[in-house]
Amino acid sequence: MTELLDLPSDTPEALMELFDSRGWGDGLPLVPPTPERVGAALAMLGDVDPDEPIATLAPRFGEATRRTIAVNAVLAGCQPEYLPVIVSAVRALARPEVNLRGVNATTHPVAPLLIVHGEMAQRCGYNGGLGAFGPGSRANATTGRALRLILLHIAGAVLGPGDASTQGGPAKYSYCVAENEASTPWENYPASRGIDAASAVTVHCGEAPHNFHDMESDHPARILDKCAAAMASLGQNNAVIAQGEYFVALGPEHAATAASHGWTRQDVASYLFDRARLPASLVRAQFDRVAWAPWMHAMGDDHLMPVTAHPDNIRVFVCGGAGKHSSVIPSWGMTRSVTLPVEP
Amino acid sequence: MKIYAPDGSIGKPSFVLAATSPVITGRRIGVLDNGKPNARLMMVRMAEQLAARTGASVSVVTGKGSGHNAATACSDEVLDQLEKEADLVITGSAD
Repeated sequence: MTELLDLPSDTPEALMELFDSRGWGDGLPLVPPTPERVGAALAMLGDVDPDEPIATLAPRFGEATRRTIAVNAVLAGCQPEYLPVIVSAVRALARPEVNLRGVNATTHPVAPLLIVHGEMAQRCGYNGGLGAFGPGSRANATTGRALRLILLHIAGAVLGPGDASTQGGPAKYSYCVAENEASTPWENYPASRGIDAASAVTVHCGEAPHNFHDMESDHPARILDKCAAAMASLGQNNAVIAQGEYFVALGPEHAATAASHGWTRQDVASYLFDRARLPASLVRAQFDRVAWAPWMHAMGDDHLMPVTAHPDNIRVFVCGGAGKHSSVIPSWGMTRSVTLPVEP
Repeated sequence: MKIYAPDGSIGKPSFVLAATSPVITGRRIGVLDNGKPNARLMMVRMAEQLAARTGASVSVVTGKGSGHNAATACSDEVLDQLEKEADLVITGSAD
């Protein structure tokens, strides 16, 4: 059961002091998770067991129940109606292909990016438009923060014993956007992954977004060549881990240019697979160990090696507002993204 | 004011560590290379020195198995091998 604590005073300082003394929190002010606030959030889930463990989160192997998830959502400042999104995101993070133990414990600055799709994104005000990765949306900011608090408190991803990240990173505070479905010229992202649901979540464990811009091109090839250049970096884990995915967050204007030339989402991925490459000799010279797919080892030194083993590892969604900017979100590597329907 | 604690319970561990032997004379030391740079070099040296000082022996040095690396758990085959061929295992080195 979730423990109830006595807070000697209802001031923000008292809550911060209590959390500091227990090694909890992310360093920012918190909202007191009173039974009333937590109950209001749980009410959004309908007739479900609030204390049923729905996931066990590594490396602490903490049991995430709907109630403990709601506690962290309240702490982060979430509105009650965000809770189904957060519960679904926790389910996704617990999937074995995410490799949450590695994601949390590595020296790399990886953080789970949460993308919210569909009706829930609209209803709750998740921002997939102008400045989506930045501040200003309570839904984005607090939902991303709630996931981080869940990783800190339940999963035990605390600096040192549970998080060895050499430098950390700003995405570890909060990392949540919506898909801009209104500006997506293709089917929505979950449909492209075979998910037929009114609302869905995707988690992708990667770096903070790497921007690329193209202000002048009217053909997708010239735009995507800049994207390919941002992908083909020796400094990213993807350079040596061929199973790693890239998420490409295309701005609506870049996506529209691609679609206006008849390019599908798969065409964009195939083009990037072909263009985002590094000479095999360079990769071999720079790294003693490479986690390539078996076929890649058979390629000669003069081969231009793709930075991921398959075009399907390049995942494209539309995000952002007016302007000619897009971004690439490289992977930590030994992890796979997960898309799930929103369920209580 | 009452508030909920944010951490919840710890789930059942999926494994239990074996009891530590108080004396390792005559015991077999295994080394599980976790795939980090120089980990094998450092841990084999440690195992050899431990063996020389205590009368133990280094019985097996292995990686995590084909397709496994620093970011993943080792293969079941390697775990079985270590269980059969070693009484204690040294592993775990960061970069």
